[in-house]
Amino acid sequence: MADEALFQFLHNEVIQYVYKSAENGEMENGRCITRLENMGFRVGQGLIERFTKDTARFKDELDIMKFICKDFWTSVFKKQIDNLRTNHQGIYVLQDNKFRLLNQLSAGKQYLEHAPKYLAFSCGLVRGGLSNLGVKSIVTAEVSVMPACKFQVMIQK
Amino acid sequence: MTCLCFLCVSRDYDELSSIMAVCIAVIAKENYPLYIRSVPTQNELKFHYTVHTSLDVVEEKISSVGKALADQRELYLGLLYPTEDYKVYGYVTNSKVKFVIVVDSSNTSLRDNEIRSMFRKLHNSFTDVMCNPFYIPGDPIQSKAFDSMVSAMMVQAC
Amino acid sequence: MESHEEKPIIYTMENKPIVTCAGDPALFAALYSALAQQLPREPMEWRRSYGRAPKMIHLEANFVQFKEDLLPKEGNKALLTFPFLHIFWTDCCDTEVYKASVKEDMLRWQTTLKHHGSQDWLIVVVESDAKKKNKTNLLPRTSIMDKIRNDFCNKQSDRCVSLADPLKESSRSQESWSSFLTKLRTLLLMSFTKNLGRFEDDMRTMREKRTEPGWSFCDYFMVQEELAFVFEMLQQYEDALVQYDELDALFTQYVLNFGAGDAANWLGSFCQPVRSWNGLVLRRPIDMEKRELIQRSEASLLDLRSYLFSRQCTLLIFLQRPWEVTQRALELLHNCVQELRLLEVSVLQGALDCWVFLSCLEVLHRIEGCCDRAQLEANCSHTVGLWTYATEKLKCLGDLCGLVSKNGPNSEDLNRTVDLLAGLGAERPETANSLQSPYKKLKEALSSVETFEKHYLELSHAAMEMYTAIGRMRSARLVGKSLAEFYMRKGDPQSADGFLQDSLKSYVAEGWSLQVTHTRRQVAECQKLLGQTEDYLQTCALLASDANLTDEERKHFCQEILNHANQSSQTESQGESVDQKVALSMAAFAQLRELRFQPASPTVHVGAALQLELRLCSLMPVAVRLEQLAVSVHFSLEQPGQRGSSLSTPQRRIPAQCAAPGGVSPEGAVLFPAISPAGGGPLGAGMGGAGAGAPAALELYEIQDRSPSDNTLNTTGVVCKNVHLLLRRQDSATSLDTPSAGGSGGSVTSGGAAAVAMEDSSQMLKTRDVTLLPGNNSIPFTAPSQKPGTYTLRQLSAMVGQVQFVLPHIYPTVQYEVYSQEPQLTIEPLTDNLLAGLPQKVKFTIVTGHYTVKKGDALQLSNTDSMPILHTNSCTARIVSSTGELVGESALSIHSSEKVTSISLPPTLPYHTLDFQLDVLCHIPASPARLETERLTNGEVRHRPKSRTRYNSGMASVDQKVSIDCPWSIYSTLISLTFYIPFKAKHSLLSAGKRKYIQVCLQNVSDTNFRLMDPSLTQRQQNSSLELDSLNPKEQQLVHSKQSVFCLWEVKWASEPPACLQFSFVASFAPTEPADAEFKPYCYDFQLERVSTLYCLRAEIQPADGEPQCRTGTLCGLDVSITRLTEPTDSERDDEESTESEGLRTTKLMYEVVDNSSNWAVCGKSTGVVSMPVVASATHRVLMEVMPLFAGHLPFPSIKLLKYLPHNVTPVIPPDTDSCLENDNLSLLDKGLEDQSDTASLRSRGSIHSLGSSDQPLPPASRGLPMPRLEPFSPGQVFNCSQGRQVLVLPATDDHILEVNAT
Repeated sequence: MADEALFQFLHNEVIQYVYKSAENGEMENGRCITRLENMGFRVGQGLIERFTKDTARFKDELDIMKFICKDFWTSVFKKQIDNLRTNHQGIYVLQDNKFRLLNQLSAGKQYLEHAPKYLAFSCGLVRGGLSNLGVKSIVTAEVSVMPACKFQVMIQK
Repeated sequence: MTCLCFLCVSRDYDELSSIMAVCIAVIAKENYPLYIRSVPTQNELKFHYTVHTSLDVVEEKISSVGKALADQRELYLGLLYPTEDYKVYGYVTNSKVKFVIVVDSSNTSLRDNEIRSMFRKLHNSFTDVMCNPFYIPGDPIQSKAFDSMVSAMMVQAC
Repeated sequence: MESHEEKPIIYTMENKPIVTCAGDPALFAALYSALAQQLPREPMEWRRSYGRAPKMIHLEANFVQFKEDLLPKEGNKALLTFPFLHIFWTDCCDTEVYKASVKEDMLRWQTTLKHHGSQDWLIVVVESDAKKKNKTNLLPRTSIMDKIRNDFCNKQSDRCVSLADPLKESSRSQESWSSFLTKLRTLLLMSFTKNLGRFEDDMRTMREKRTEPGWSFCDYFMVQEELAFVFEMLQQYEDALVQYDELDALFTQYVLNFGAGDAANWLGSFCQPVRSWNGLVLRRPIDMEKRELIQRSEASLLDLRSYLFSRQCTLLIFLQRPWEVTQRALELLHNCVQELRLLEVSVLQGALDCWVFLSCLEVLHRIEGCCDRAQLEANCSHTVGLWTYATEKLKCLGDLCGLVSKNGPNSEDLNRTVDLLAGLGAERPETANSLQSPYKKLKEALSSVETFEKHYLELSHAAMEMYTAIGRMRSARLVGKSLAEFYMRKGDPQSADGFLQDSLKSYVAEGWSLQVTHTRRQVAECQKLLGQTEDYLQTCALLASDANLTDEERKHFCQEILNHANQSSQTESQGESVDQKVALSMAAFAQLRELRFQPASPTVHVGAALQLELRLCSLMPVAVRLEQLAVSVHFSLEQPGQRGSSLSTPQRRIPAQCAAPGGVSPEGAVLFPAISPAGGGPLGAGMGGAGAGAPAALELYEIQDRSPSDNTLNTTGVVCKNVHLLLRRQDSATSLDTPSAGGSGGSVTSGGAAAVAMEDSSQMLKTRDVTLLPGNNSIPFTAPSQKPGTYTLRQLSAMVGQVQFVLPHIYPTVQYEVYSQEPQLTIEPLTDNLLAGLPQKVKFTIVTGHYTVKKGDALQLSNTDSMPILHTNSCTARIVSSTGELVGESALSIHSSEKVTSISLPPTLPYHTLDFQLDVLCHIPASPARLETERLTNGEVRHRPKSRTRYNSGMASVDQKVSIDCPWSIYSTLISLTFYIPFKAKHSLLSAGKRKYIQVCLQNVSDTNFRLMDPSLTQRQQNSSLELDSLNPKEQQLVHSKQSVFCLWEVKWASEPPACLQFSFVASFAPTEPADAEFKPYCYDFQLERVSTLYCLRAEIQPADGEPQCRTGTLCGLDVSITRLTEPTDSERDDEESTESEGLRTTKLMYEVVDNSSNWAVCGKSTGVVSMPVVASATHRVLMEVMPLFAGHLPFPSIKLLKYLPHNVTPVIPPDTDSCLENDNLSLLDKGLEDQSDTASLRSRGSIHSLGSSDQPLPPASRGLPMPRLEPFSPGQVFNCSQGRQVLVLPATDDHILEVNAT
């Protein structure tokens, strides 16, 4: 489908752009990830507003996380999260075995060092979405073998 | 027999003039107003008080969600409370943004369905605002589009 | 029995459906009680028309004696009085009796029933054995039944049933009872269904006619209520309620339609003006008075509504849904008010309020009446609405009747009150004896100001408590606020204050600016009355800066402040010692937007001028003149060691500042977040929600986790570095917006003001008489920089007369550094290294630091003759300021005595740099001096180690210490300069027979190129006839860097030269550029010993006899001849080494043929000792055989000649062998000599003078037992003519050897 392709291409370009501008010294390199994440944050806020327009009110935190894993993920990444785990103390781990934004990168360890920049935006998406649902959180990510990856959501009580 | 009775009642409604909302408010999840507009003819301050107070009931309803069944968890909260002169209706988005519509009590043409659809309109329009790059979430709403949509809901047709 | 007849039908819950009984009364009377209690035992399912759900119901009946007039007349719709079933009782068991009497009765009964068209009848035949006993001619029981059946019930035999022995306790009687009862119930229900159905149909057709003229709502009301009653009677409360709700809806609808314009004529009665407003009555099941009013179509709207509601209420309570009552009550009351408005019913002002008030309380009481405390508290969310409504209404009444004003009600108020009370009528009987009836409450409340207050407060507090109980804080506050308003009107600000503050706080916290403004104005009024000056002024400030207010209002509040400021200052001027000083939070008055340092870097030296520009945004509507604007500064002394006197170190402080959010930018500006004084908090929170403006922004980084073993990536990811910060963000955020909190109301500010009280710190930035215009202002300050240390800006305060606005802490922290620096002098070469022997430029740099160079200050350089300071009268000093621009230049005056050179410095300000250049010349140290020292110090020359250290640079160096006295210190500074010696010289003695030559090699080790001129060699002690004629060119020669020049002299002498000769080589040199550079001498001293040749050594090689040429492998003759060349010198004459024998003095020599290149094989002995007569031209020949091992031109084997000393002779100090370099074959001679020469050569290497060595280890032979010793001749004493000669050797004839040779 064209639209999903479009998102991916745009996403890649954004990353390209951010890192280029970092090289040109418009901002220090360390900030790139943060910057991408912030972009994601704003997008996430908007998205969640749309996606939850017709859903019932959420029961609780877990209810929200489920929504993120199912509906949200499906509408953004065209698949559901494969596995959601939680310690019931505000930490959730979302496992995607075939993360769409890494899928094109590689299957295995090649380009592994570049993986993080392709996750930052998505981290932001999730954080933005959650925060707009009134859940303050910190979202981090981890990849060991692409295209699988883990997102960790740490809820701020 | 009941049904029959209401049939005839609703028939009688049709030719009634319709006065729409007298005040429409959007309230942030932190409970400060993002947007509040009322019929110019009446005392703005009074509406602010009414809307603000209505938040009590909104919160009451939201907090009771845990127990509530799925079908009771719809975004429309229904009539928050009536006063002698006004009826105050509530609606809460999943992002905990509240919409409040105040309707004149004498206005009987607006019943649940009409109110619902008004809230839907509000929500759609608000979503557009949220997705507008020029809007910073959490800021007061300045969008003209939103404004005109709201004023459409407040026009008095009669 | 009679009782049944007489019983009048009234509408009570005791109503039961009527069943008539005919036939044998005695019999029925006997069964009545049993029947009455049996009937309801079993529930019965009631199937119903219109698809309504079937219901199980317990039937009851009211059995009455059959009378004809019980039967409904035509058109009588009454349902309650309607007999649903008619029963005929009989126990006759013989046909005779039946025929005789019973049949007649039945017939009569039947016909009347038919006549009234009622089919609901039943004939019961009771059997008892008792009767049978005394009867003789018995018929089977059945026969009677049959008779009755075919007499009456044609084709509906089921309408005749038998009841067996009803009064016996037999199983038979049991079952007959139950079957009878079932039959009875079925028939009853059938009748209900039929009759109710018919009734409803009639009712519906009646309603359909409602648009026709003359239709009466009241009539219809009665009809439908009849139905409701029946349902109620059957305990079908749900259905009953439905009836009333329908009536309700219908009526509402009519009112609306009427409002919408289509006048329904029947509404007339309801539109009549309201005459009585004595609230709802809920204590009776049915309010007959009102019902009758309705029946008579005289009910007013309120009557109807009240009646309707009272019925609904009753039913709801039966249904155990009391809370619905309260809910509906509120709707009802609102609705009624609306309807009356809509119908434009004329109502006495306040009447409605009374009605509503009474009704609210009535409902509340009714509910309390029917459920317990716990339930009530659990459900006050339902009741609280009524409480508040009542409260509001009472308040309205209070206003209306002038009970709220300070000075009681006036006459017309009283009249109004009277009218209102009139409308209440008399109190109802059922509440008459209860003390707390609504009626009583209202009467009391309206009776006097005090009682009104009492009741009003009671209600308000009740409402507030309930709200707080269910957590509806906002509503509670709203009630509180209206209570406050009440107090204010009563002129009791004391009580009002708390409520106002409370609600104000909440509005600020939630950021509802309009409420904030409104409430704050009330607060201001309140505080003014209370005379809380400080708080009042604070509030005024907030209001004056409030955009929600009009300019006039804002100006007014601003003026309030100014008035206070001036008035109190006046009072002071009048000498009254009332200290009116008031400290207020600045947040509302003005906002600090930006601080700008000039110069940009906030790090300056002591006493430097540091400008501080303050951007202040005034929120006042008018220009305000400040007596003084001050920034208090906290000064902390700089810790020693934290910053040396170096300029660079302070800089590392600045990153630390930047770490604080909004630190000093490169432009030296600090920006402050703008906070709105009114609703700051939540908006900030909003920002926080948006992720922007949050105190701690998320910091994410990439991580790469590599496996320790091989460096491959395990995982990568995105991590958050500042989780800890983010997790405790909330509280840090709150701490951030203290200013806005400070502005949030009197109580808080007063709290804040305590903190606000200016800490009087020693340091202050001040400006006087500033006028703040609305909007942005910029105020310049000069920052104090007297003492070194860290200056932190703490508070900002603005004085307006007695009013002082204070910004309690300036955040983010702004600080600047002041450092002090010791004066210091540095001297460094301009070139990368200084050369000795040439004038060199060195740069003097004086960093004045805190010292001021006054006129007459001078540097005192203690001279050393090895390094004079050369005067160049054209020597100017540059003075450069700390910021690096040139301040001035001035000529230096330099005076030098033999001891010191004094350089008088031009006056220079502190923290400036003064620099100038001087020429210095370092003489190349002269060797003789050194030689002596060498002897003394056993050859350890002082500077040698240094030269060793410098060795790698390839140049020897001299360190020159200069001690300088600086004007700023009593100690003299010692500065050492290192000079490098550009040349390295070597000498060597060359001999040709008796002729001698001296060669000096001069190597340029520096990087510069030199011109070299007239090298000369002179003997140091002018005694002998020695003459040296130079073989060198006259003109200059170029010596490029790292190149050497060789100079040569022939030495001639007439008489015998002394054993030891001392020479000094001198050449003058100058750098190639500048071309005019003057020549400086370079001198090199050395000495030679025993220069003259004693022996001449000649060797010849003859081929074997008869051979033209030598051949490899064949022996050749080696003929060595040693010839004495000179007469014995007087030195030699008394020489121990010669021995006297028969008048001829001889000396022993030893020769040795060595061939280290192994070209030759020496056959026979290669060494020998000869005794040589000590006379000129004495010759000694030695023959020996050698064999060439290779073919070709072979160098001669070398031949050594050595002194041979017998053991008894004590050795002399052996000669200096410095020049051994010249013929190193000597070193090959024997171990002892070898290492000796080695050490020598080693020492000579790298030393400036090749005459390096001194003490020689004694030859090893001399150690241990005395034995013959060999001693070398000093160079040049033995001349080897055949040195370097070669002889042609032909290869041996055999080819294979030839091949060998080919190698």
